[in-house]
Amino acid sequence: MENKNFNVEVHHVTRVEGHGNIYVNVKNGTIERCEWNISEAPRFFEAMVVGRQWSELHHITSRICGICSIGHTLASLKATEAAMGINISDQDLKLRKLALHAENLQSHVLHVGFLVLPDLMGVGSVIPLASSNPSEVKTVLGLHRLANEMSNLVCGRTTHPQRLIPGGFSKIPTMKELTALREKLKASVPALQAFAKLLQSLAPKIPEFVRETEFISLTSPSEYALYDGKIASTDTDAAPAREYLSFTNEYVVPQSTAKWAKHVRESYMVGALARLNINYDKLSPLAKKTAEMFGLKPVCHNPFMNSVAQLVEVVHSVEDSIKLINELEAAGLKRQPDYNVPEVHVKAGQDVGAVEVPRGILFHDYTYNEKGVCTKANCIIPTNQNHGNIELDMKALLPKILDKTEKEIELSLEMLVRAYDPCISCSTHAVKVHFI
Amino acid sequence: MKPKVAFFDFAGCEGDQLQIANLEEEILTLLGHVEVVSFREVMKEHSDNYDIAFVEGSCTRLQDEERLKQIRKNAKIVVAIGSCATIGGINSLKNHKDLVNVRQTVYGNKANLFDTYAARPIDAVIPVDAYVHGCPMTKEEFLHVVKSLLLGKKPEIPNYPVCVECKKNENVCAFERGQFCVGTVTRAGCNSCCVNEGTICWGCRGLVDNPNENSQKEVLIKYGLTVDDTINKFKLYFGWQEMKK
Amino acid sequence: MRIISKEDFNKFVNSLIKDNSLNVAGVKSKGNKFAFGQLESAGELRLDYDVTLLPPKKYFFPQRETLVTYDVANGYSAKDPAEIKPTVIVGVHPYDIAALLQMDETFRETKSDPYYSEKRKSSIIIGVNIQNMSKSCFAPQMGCATIDQGYDLMLTDLGNRYAITIGSHKGAELLEKYAQNVTDAIARDIQLVGQKKREIMSAATQKFDFETELIPELLSKSYEENGFWEKHAETCLACGSCVLVCPTCYCFDVKENPDLSLKQGERLRTWDGCLLEDFAKIASGENFRPTRPNRYRHRYFKKGKYLFDRFGFISCVGCGRCSSNCLPDIANPVNLFNDMYHEALNMGVKMVPPSEPEINIRTESKINFVPKLATIVKKVPMTANEMLFEIKLDDGSILNHKPGQFVEVSVFGVGEAPISVSSSPTKKETFQLCVRKMGSLTTKLHMLNVGEKVGIRGPFGHGFDTEFLKGKDLLFVAGGLGIAPLRSLFNYVLDNRDYYGRVTLLYGCKEPRELLFGEELIALEKRADVEYKPTVDWCPENEIWSGNIGVITTLIPQVNFDPETTYAIVVGPPIMYKFVIADLKKRNVPDDHIIISLERRMKCGVGKCGHCQINQLYVCKDGPVFNYSKIKGIPEAL
Repeated sequence: MENKNFNVEVHHVTRVEGHGNIYVNVKNGTIERCEWNISEAPRFFEAMVVGRQWSELHHITSRICGICSIGHTLASLKATEAAMGINISDQDLKLRKLALHAENLQSHVLHVGFLVLPDLMGVGSVIPLASSNPSEVKTVLGLHRLANEMSNLVCGRTTHPQRLIPGGFSKIPTMKELTALREKLKASVPALQAFAKLLQSLAPKIPEFVRETEFISLTSPSEYALYDGKIASTDTDAAPAREYLSFTNEYVVPQSTAKWAKHVRESYMVGALARLNINYDKLSPLAKKTAEMFGLKPVCHNPFMNSVAQLVEVVHSVEDSIKLINELEAAGLKRQPDYNVPEVHVKAGQDVGAVEVPRGILFHDYTYNEKGVCTKANCIIPTNQNHGNIELDMKALLPKILDKTEKEIELSLEMLVRAYDPCISCSTHAVKVHFI
Repeated sequence: MKPKVAFFDFAGCEGDQLQIANLEEEILTLLGHVEVVSFREVMKEHSDNYDIAFVEGSCTRLQDEERLKQIRKNAKIVVAIGSCATIGGINSLKNHKDLVNVRQTVYGNKANLFDTYAARPIDAVIPVDAYVHGCPMTKEEFLHVVKSLLLGKKPEIPNYPVCVECKKNENVCAFERGQFCVGTVTRAGCNSCCVNEGTICWGCRGLVDNPNENSQKEVLIKYGLTVDDTINKFKLYFGWQEMKK
Repeated sequence: MRIISKEDFNKFVNSLIKDNSLNVAGVKSKGNKFAFGQLESAGELRLDYDVTLLPPKKYFFPQRETLVTYDVANGYSAKDPAEIKPTVIVGVHPYDIAALLQMDETFRETKSDPYYSEKRKSSIIIGVNIQNMSKSCFAPQMGCATIDQGYDLMLTDLGNRYAITIGSHKGAELLEKYAQNVTDAIARDIQLVGQKKREIMSAATQKFDFETELIPELLSKSYEENGFWEKHAETCLACGSCVLVCPTCYCFDVKENPDLSLKQGERLRTWDGCLLEDFAKIASGENFRPTRPNRYRHRYFKKGKYLFDRFGFISCVGCGRCSSNCLPDIANPVNLFNDMYHEALNMGVKMVPPSEPEINIRTESKINFVPKLATIVKKVPMTANEMLFEIKLDDGSILNHKPGQFVEVSVFGVGEAPISVSSSPTKKETFQLCVRKMGSLTTKLHMLNVGEKVGIRGPFGHGFDTEFLKGKDLLFVAGGLGIAPLRSLFNYVLDNRDYYGRVTLLYGCKEPRELLFGEELIALEKRADVEYKPTVDWCPENEIWSGNIGVITTLIPQVNFDPETTYAIVVGPPIMYKFVIADLKKRNVPDDHIIISLERRMKCGVGKCGHCQINQLYVCKDGPVFNYSKIKGIPEAL
């Protein structure tokens, strides 16, 4: 091992969203360089929204990400609504929670089924699996389809959802449509179980790697927190969303157009694994059973298990969605006007909207003047918060696998990055901009 | 011989490529007609030998131009997908920021961060053969363009405003509801999906070939929007197209 | 007249809804407006509405409708027009009923449209007299605020009950089957209904300053009005709203929609609008109505003059939808015609109501939208861009076209395009098409091989009158691709040479390598009974040319002919006509001795979809061959 000399350079890691590079230099068995590098073009969203109206911000910030669009829109709406003292009805709250479940379902199924599964099955992509394992691929596609149908029904569409507006919804589904959706969700459980069994059969391929780190997510006393909650950490006490800056502490790093974050340790992790570690007891019954299939329980420090945590959350989302629709039915769905525009009293204010999107905790912080024009914005993306953890994990993993071939090392490092399900385009949404 | 296709992304949110994933089972049918040789989000393999290149995202840096030119060289047909690639998209919103008065305060030596210029659609850099507009594009229109290319014909996309589709869908016009819409000068093809969902048209598909912009601005002001807000509305997606005129 | 309580009326409607063999639609609220929609219960009905967003024409002429399906293996087949559930439409206002009656005539004139007529046949109209009139409505002025026919039942709201006027057996049977407690009206009810109708007549806030009978006359005096149309259309957004919401508009586009297998698909028609920019644009890029004032003017002329000349009605029922949907507010016919009237008065123009137009509405046959399969038996490239195809119909039949007619050619998955027949009908087993590679269809056609299939519909159009031309001297003038349709007549004449007098062919192209039918035409030089003169605009260095060099008009002085006995047949690009006709006139050729063939965007081929319309004529039906004297005064023709 002392004579090991090699370089690993993965330009634009595949099967992740956005552009990131892995750089590794090993000389005489010593690791000289081990870097996770972001080269994505910065997009300046926080500068773009300054000067725009409160009624436009959610439309613009939705475009930060095509996959977590619903999440960005909701975080944005929560920030605007909090800043201006706008309340939403209980019905709208439930519908928004359904929207987040739809997003989680869609994103996790896509990630585990299309992006992670090929590694576990030893192929380059899901495309050859379409011929070799057609029924498994059809299962994944069917679940993905259901998730999209759900977001179409509740939000208008998955990417850049039109129905989500300040104060509520421009249009809501009918009870008939919701009950039809509920039947479809119930009918998807066998497919979920088949998918879980498939993943369980591949579980031995999931690397066993542990590095202790801090986990941060939302938490709530009444539910598995996705839409509302306080910021929780496995290391410290919880705090309201307004205090996010004391958790995130973003800083710029030489090799990256995206910033890193840290709290009480050198880095921390957000995402499905973080949420599961913190809120395990709030998971739905079937979700807990699914976690048990993999021996996954808090606190798990193996980042590769993030994908399994995502599968567990998929099951939870399906069960909780059924519960939410039952509640809506019991309360009776209140109709609203076609082309609904909730009343908003525009005033100056500043506040924070925090939401869990598939990849982790997301913060939108807006400041408005008395005309309702945005004067300042700050968005902290989950993937930014993970960059530090990714690199430290890489640095810890590399020595353990130095005895493998270069190809195997490259694959292991890529799998590590993929396990985090990074959303790199979002994370390069901005750099700090100071106006003079 | 199945044509070889490749997918590329620049500065964008990847929402258009997600619409391709959203084709669900139809992906399998599509794979019967084409061979995917490069699609970074979904597969490891990559090849520079492709016939049709689908490009998402805007060109926002000088270094992106080289990549685009290489794609143009390799491909017989280049298709821009999504508003960022077809008209500059929401990225062009920052083009109007007075960059002289904005000083980027950066922590550390971030030379590459200064490498950014006015966000532009990819046809500002290379010739483009077909467009799938929209933010995001719809999978229906994507399939329409792909089917046309496979059948050897130039894809037909509308050159009339969203009003046509809105009226066919029997929507109540936004202006009749006290809201402000730019669908009158925006290219149709989305089936007025946003108005169908109860809101307005924001203009994400870009201007029609020959819009009567002055008339539309007058209409907005007549119905009560301030001059500043009217100008701002046009900057949201039309920034690059208006600059070009 | 009968009477029914509102409660019993609701029960009546609910029992209609319960019947699964019927579709029941009615006026419901939508946002702060109203629209016809599927009824789930009578409680949804809003019979007190002022106007619906879209007229009920959508039930008979839907926004989007499949006409034909195809399968590459089997060819094209019609979607069965009769495959529909009968629809009961509740709450149609008299002006919308008047519009449907107008549309009935436009859809059955000459060639009837089975898709429209089957739906009309199986539908049941329950009308309602207007209770609230919208601000922009001027139906009373158009004579459409009340109506005596076109409905199966007509309701008038009398407070706690409806008066029902029975309009047909169907209506009477409907009441019989589904309604309870229907009594006869008493004299009081009858008088009340009369009073309501009178109130409606005076409810309109929109008023014309003149008698509406004058409208066609007003328009005929205002076509070229200096700046009038430019002024009124300045803020036009070409958004198409005015025509899309109009109850009497029926222009449609036809599109191909292959499915993902690429082997099957459908052909569908969708609403189109003459205000839209590319409505009159053809594959070459030429747009016959390129400016907004052009198109804005066309709508008023079509409604107020062209359809009047053809059918005797002003194609507007005063519903006011165009007016209220126009954001720049330039679509109100009342404002426009009032302006026009006052300008005419100021200019001292004398106007009288138009005389009784000659109306001859008869149905000859049903429209056929389904192409027949045909095979490409031969394919010969003639120039870099033009290819001569020889086509044989698969069912063994003969096209039997007249020279000058065209066919609609279909290519699977791509669409359909009009191409004139290039061969004479004397050649029977096959026919020829000279195709220039221009747009999607012609490009794909060029790529097909011998043995591959195309679809053929037709022949369409008014061709050359070969009988009438017998015994006359013929001067053929062909410019560029114009030789293609001209050849169908030219070869016919040569095959029947004895029946015709002197025959001269003048043919001009840009340069030698663009000349079509090269060898065939060179052979003409050997004939004593034909005079053939070709010319090119110029000859590049690397090409050989010994003939005339100059535009086609340079050939005319070189020919001796007697204008009294000679008929000139001229076919070429739009720009050519003006100059050739001028030179022919200089030689004293009478107007009615000049015959031309025009090109426009043609979709249906039978004078329905509206795209080829030039003023009041349809190029696909009244042309493409026209006698110059007939179109001399038509501004949009040349």
